[in-house]
Amino acid sequence: MAVAIEALADEMYKMVAETQGKKNLKALDLTKAMIAKYGEAECSKDDCKHAIRQLIDSGRCVYSYFGGSFITLPHKEGAAPE
Amino acid sequence: MATAPVKRITDIGPPHYEKFLHPMIKKNYGNWKYHETLAPGVLCHVAESGDRIYTVRAGSPRLLSVATIRLFADLADKYSGGYLRFTSRNNVEFLLEDKGNIEPLKRELAAAGFPVGGTNNAISNIVHTQGWVHCHSSATDASGIVKCVMDALYDRFTHEDLPAKLRIALACCLNMCGAVHCSDIAILGIHRRPPKILHETLRKVCEIPTVIASCPTGAIRSATVNGNPSVEVVEEQCMYCGNCYTVCPAMPLNDPENDGLSIWVGGKVSNARSAPTFSKLAIPFIPNNPPRWPEVVNAVVNIVDVYARNARRFERVGEWIDRIGWPRFFELTGIEFTRYHIDDFKYAGLTFARSAHLRY
Amino acid sequence: MADGNGKPKAQMLDELEKGPWPSFVKEIKKAAETSPVCHDLMGQLEVSYEEKRSHWKHGGIVGVLGYGGGVIGRYSDLPDQFPNVAHFHTLRVNHPSGWFYTSDALRTLCDIWERHGSGLTNMHGSTGDIVFLGTKTDELEPTFKELTEAGFDLGGSGSVMRTPSCCVGQARCEWACYDTMAACDDITRTYQDELHRPAFPYKFKFKFSGCPNDCVAAIARADLSIIGTWRDDIQQDDAAVAEYAASGLNIQKDVCNRCPTHCMEWDGKKLTIENKECVRCMHCINVMPKALRPGKEKGAAILIGAKAPILQGALLSSVLIPFVPAEELLDTLKELVSRIWDFWGEYGKNRERIGELIQRVGMANFLDGIGLDPVPEMVGSPRDNPYIYFQGKDGDQGT
Repeated sequence: MAVAIEALADEMYKMVAETQGKKNLKALDLTKAMIAKYGEAECSKDDCKHAIRQLIDSGRCVYSYFGGSFITLPHKEGAAPE
Repeated sequence: MATAPVKRITDIGPPHYEKFLHPMIKKNYGNWKYHETLAPGVLCHVAESGDRIYTVRAGSPRLLSVATIRLFADLADKYSGGYLRFTSRNNVEFLLEDKGNIEPLKRELAAAGFPVGGTNNAISNIVHTQGWVHCHSSATDASGIVKCVMDALYDRFTHEDLPAKLRIALACCLNMCGAVHCSDIAILGIHRRPPKILHETLRKVCEIPTVIASCPTGAIRSATVNGNPSVEVVEEQCMYCGNCYTVCPAMPLNDPENDGLSIWVGGKVSNARSAPTFSKLAIPFIPNNPPRWPEVVNAVVNIVDVYARNARRFERVGEWIDRIGWPRFFELTGIEFTRYHIDDFKYAGLTFARSAHLRY
Repeated sequence: MADGNGKPKAQMLDELEKGPWPSFVKEIKKAAETSPVCHDLMGQLEVSYEEKRSHWKHGGIVGVLGYGGGVIGRYSDLPDQFPNVAHFHTLRVNHPSGWFYTSDALRTLCDIWERHGSGLTNMHGSTGDIVFLGTKTDELEPTFKELTEAGFDLGGSGSVMRTPSCCVGQARCEWACYDTMAACDDITRTYQDELHRPAFPYKFKFKFSGCPNDCVAAIARADLSIIGTWRDDIQQDDAAVAEYAASGLNIQKDVCNRCPTHCMEWDGKKLTIENKECVRCMHCINVMPKALRPGKEKGAAILIGAKAPILQGALLSSVLIPFVPAEELLDTLKELVSRIWDFWGEYGKNRERIGELIQRVGMANFLDGIGLDPVPEMVGSPRDNPYIYFQGKDGDQGT
């Protein structure tokens, strides 16, 4: 049985929260981690894409840019987190 | 969980271009036969059907107020049925059905301060970046230098009297948002000192492995500063690209005394005659000298003038230099050849003279 | 930085109102008539001119809900002095193919931007977008709402497919060998998700040029450069050639001698082209547009990998598929790009453009990865060094 999109989103959220401040994660990093965990049969790239979209559209995570685009927790507005 | 507003429109893409096409363009789409130039900045495209559409091209400063865009819209309503477009070099083009509208439109554009030209063997508008108007990593301003250079080359925009096309571009740092690297003449802002490391900020906002990995020459290594993890820069390995600054704001490399400009020549993107090629270094450094940057203006005008006097018909700057050779280019332009002209980055040997083909 | 009248002091910038070329300073002043933020922009820019340095901070963590691109965050490092440009974000608005507009469409854009931002624009930015220059974070959503209601959407920024762009193509050019505007529009629409939601190692650009004159600099500036060309013979009108000769064109000197492969002969009456040797450079066609035209069997060459210097040095695109017939172009492109993006997603590092990845892993391995056979059109010449990585018996040890 395929992993539910919500469950993927929750797992991704956990990854982002845990690595916040230590390592910036890209959409690709999250996707690769989920596929590594569940296998491509249970969790396709498309599923991951939907999970990421859910994370972002719900406001739980946001896209950030530092010389590349990353997925992070929402942060205080500013040029750079001080 | 926050909820998204209802009926939020997303992912619609740009308006379909067909809505914006002049009826005559729609009618003859894909069926144009040939074109001719009626005057600098004025083209006539002739369709298989015999229809003719006239294009009037005017230069713009790229940085446009809504007031000026509305002026263009009004002129389009008056002369071109409300249809207009912009070119890849920031010119505005009015598409006219009635040949009789060309002269009145040109007069109004001239009165409003927008020169008509930029076609064929004229110097078209300079493509450029944001500079101090809007960029954090710029080593120089962009709009200001472009304004000064185009003031000096104004007649080259309004006349088609060069041996071939001549395309100038300006980028205000090595990031080259303006991708100037294939221009007849490129004006490139450069930094000349390694980044200053703001250790306190770095600790809070940057990932050290990412900063280290960002350096193309491996000049950044980890270091302990005041007991905290940070980085250091091996200064002699730094080529001031600013990539570390892009990934980490605690590595600024703006330096008013050492930032400035370099001039590159002989690049092109068109496949006509010779293959597309990169621009090559002509002048390694000119200091910033706002507001009019006279040294940059003189350098560019000098290269254009020498080229105009010496190149043969159809020779782009690079093709002209290929014929006469680089020693003669430096001699004719009076530009000094220095150690900085000899490449010492990756694949440097490819630009060495690897033959006994020498001109004396 | 204000004088007694509240007007910004701008002695250096005032110098840039002089001279015949249109002045960006005049534009900022025009915008300032209705938008007070432009006074502070002038003020800060004047300080930059005095101090010879930028006063913008590294930025970039603002946007509209759901999108990871299209807004460039920008903050002043002199916010106390110039509070109105403390935030001065840019919106990239996806332009219509070929940069065609009606006056009404332009006015709509102007009205939206006057309500929500500085009233300053770039028509257009380097990648091709309409650039709305300078607004506050709170104005981003309202601007986006009005834009989408008017039929416009944001363009790309960050690690996304950047806003594709194209030359004027068949709309007004007799040389366009495929419909650049339709291709650009189709790719832009097909990949809206890839344009708005960063899922790539770094940026990815498409540029569509209708012929080898390459008016949008695809070969220098696009990760995937689609350059129109033709496969059969140049269409030749002998009577028109004779007219050019009669009107004073030196066909031997200006046409034949300039041909890069010397595939043309002129005997004083007739021009003979050895089309097998023609490299479709466009020179003769450019010189005699009434007499010579691209052939009838039209299509495009697909080249890959161009980029500006950051990081590993500038690259020009190189040939990936030498010819695709015009009618097959979009299907081929979509199949190709899905394989390229898969490979890049699998092996690309953060901030590594596709051209740099190919340099790192080798073109042959890249071709294996995307399932494309090597053909001699891909190289200027075969390799000249003998260090060949031979594959094992299975032939699949490449990647």
